[in-house]
Amino acid sequence: MNDVLDVALRLLLVFVLFLVLPLLVGQTEHKVMAHMQGRLGPMYAGGFHGWAQLVADGVKFAQKEDIVPAGADRRIFQLAPALALLPYLLVLLVIPIGPSESAVGQHIDAGIFYVLAVMGVGVLGSLMAGWASANKFSLLGGLRTAAQLLAYELPMLLAAASVAMAAGTVSLGGILNAWEWWWLPWQIIGALVFFTAGLAELQRPPFDAPIADSEIIFGAYTEYTGLRFALFLLAEYAGIVIVCGLTTVLFLGGWHGPWGADGLGWVWTLLKTAVLAFVVIWLRVSYPRLREDQLQKLSWTVLIPLALAQIALTGIVKVAIQ
Amino acid sequence: MAPIPGSGLAKGLAVTLRTMTKKTVTAQYPETQPELPPRTRGVIGLFEENCTVCMLCARECPDWCIYIDSHKETMPPAAPGGRERSRNVLDRFAIDFSLCMYCGICIEVCPFDALFWSPEFEYAETDIHELTHERDKLREWMWTVPEPPALDPGAEEPKEIAAARKTADKLEAQQAAEAEAARGQQTAREQEGPA
Amino acid sequence: MITTTSVLAATGPGFLSPSGVEIAFLLVGVVTLGAAVITVTTKQLVHAALWLVVALGGLAVEYLLLTAEFIAWVQVLIYVGSVVVLLLFGLMLTRAPIGRSPDADSGNRPVALAVAVAAGAALVWVVVDAFRHTWIDLEGPVQGSTEVTGRILFQHWVLPFEALSVLLLAALVGAIVLSRKNAAAAEPGTTGGPGSAGEPGRPNPGRRTRTPGRPAKETRSRPAQEAPGRPPTADPSEPPQKEQR
Repeated sequence: MNDVLDVALRLLLVFVLFLVLPLLVGQTEHKVMAHMQGRLGPMYAGGFHGWAQLVADGVKFAQKEDIVPAGADRRIFQLAPALALLPYLLVLLVIPIGPSESAVGQHIDAGIFYVLAVMGVGVLGSLMAGWASANKFSLLGGLRTAAQLLAYELPMLLAAASVAMAAGTVSLGGILNAWEWWWLPWQIIGALVFFTAGLAELQRPPFDAPIADSEIIFGAYTEYTGLRFALFLLAEYAGIVIVCGLTTVLFLGGWHGPWGADGLGWVWTLLKTAVLAFVVIWLRVSYPRLREDQLQKLSWTVLIPLALAQIALTGIVKVAIQ
Repeated sequence: MAPIPGSGLAKGLAVTLRTMTKKTVTAQYPETQPELPPRTRGVIGLFEENCTVCMLCARECPDWCIYIDSHKETMPPAAPGGRERSRNVLDRFAIDFSLCMYCGICIEVCPFDALFWSPEFEYAETDIHELTHERDKLREWMWTVPEPPALDPGAEEPKEIAAARKTADKLEAQQAAEAEAARGQQTAREQEGPA
Repeated sequence: MITTTSVLAATGPGFLSPSGVEIAFLLVGVVTLGAAVITVTTKQLVHAALWLVVALGGLAVEYLLLTAEFIAWVQVLIYVGSVVVLLLFGLMLTRAPIGRSPDADSGNRPVALAVAVAAGAALVWVVVDAFRHTWIDLEGPVQGSTEVTGRILFQHWVLPFEALSVLLLAALVGAIVLSRKNAAAAEPGTTGGPGSAGEPGRPNPGRRTRTPGRPAKETRSRPAQEAPGRPPTADPSEPPQKEQR
């Protein structure tokens, strides 16, 4: 009975985090982006500096009519948002935020593989949406999504493999247990590659060619409205949380901090994740969108060689230490 | 010197970060009133007392958005036995601000300075017909017309002040001359007296 | 959760009184089989690809239930995450109509069925024959966990592993060579027209310096043709050319 309660509590907590953290990131994006552009951002909803803007947005989305285009493949069209969102929930389940055994939703032995595999599945949602919408812009968006995933999955995997090599384990908790502060400079290239590839996989600017609104309207999500569209948006922000959390866990030492490591580890994890999320927003505001060919070129000619070099470096240092 | 690779990227990040620390430019309009320049052309105010119903404004208006009604009144003669005078009395002065294009020609052509720009701008209505504002409203806006701007240092005096001063000077000179003349006469009489 | 299932599988009761894991295994197997059958029978191309996702995902769950955790996640990562995406990409790039495609059916069903049955039989026979006398030690660390898989792979099976990687590398290199060859074959057709086939008498100074593609040929041919007279006439053409940039 106690076990059941424990599992239920964990699932509930993860679910609440899954709903709250993306909204936090979204609200931060509203405000940070506005101030970076010399604006104020939302100011009215909720009274104090528009804190309830996203709640209001959610209410608005819920009120909208759920439209399925006449020519669309109905079932797949309706299934796609769920498939886009669900994998991120499953990933959040295994990200350890604190040093103790209880600070993770579910410990998984092959954590890195699990995380990367499940995240790759999320892209299927975008693909299905792009195809099932019966809209040429959606189809183009789906194509670009697929091309981008194929290009950026590899550097992401290679960068993650570098950390796994360094730690000698593929479990996320194991990596964090083995982590030392000097891994930071050692794995910095891998961290950059991982973070960049993660951004690209999320289709966040400047890698948002699949949803480039000035070219293909909104890519795979063009035909969506109401709650299903909101689910796609939620998936994007959940993705930010996940990628930032993973980068924190794999490369920035998760709960390790200069002080207060015991008991306050989860604060460090959340803090690092928040800083990375800020960087994600910052990059969005600062850089223009990469063209489709530039996207591919960046991945195949820059990120993958860099990731391979990082793996070589990791191997050399690892052997030298032993 | 060749730029360090990635310096452009860093520069872009720096720009956005710097902007974030600066004050925003958003105007919180309904909460805080905008600080408008003193000569803002918001709405046209009517200084009724100066209007002579010459109809120049209504005729020059490119949109024909000024409506003027008037009637003639006969004034009693100024001097007894003189001719009676007639005078135009303003009955209605209205500007249709749904037509007005804020060119300001009416204000320019008014020979008697009866029309002025006012910085007032919050006169939106829910019905387009209500945008035709009558003389009482136009007179109210007259109170919001700011003082004329101060002249530049060393500028020529305004015409009216110059004219007034000229008249005053002339008057003074005349009085002085009269006084002088009176004194001269007196001394002459005094000199003549004992002789 | 996964560790508990593995323990259950290891210590569960006999074959005739199935445990929960075994029931789940069977149910998932039925789903997987159904999805696979639909994959090959559906007339809608993209639906077939998506049912393939279900089938492959079902397989991954089966791996999980068999405590082969590592294989399960790799299955999801490679097959669902990459292969199916590539498949869908190819479908969308060529043709992926919404609705049925009547020509999606192959005419030689019996042959396909025969091949499938033969392949299946061969696989079953190989597996059964290979593992007939193999006994798995249930006392030690769980077979199929990441650590054990890695140890087995890099201790007993290093040579096949490396051979496979060489095979993949060869395929990679082959693909690059093929694509490069095509690009080289297409190049003379496009650049050969206006630039290099120009009249020999007319010097084309803009061309000469701006096509880095074939410097050797150009520098060799021009001095031979007009060695005495040309350099003075070629030089005055240099400054305006710089201005153009």
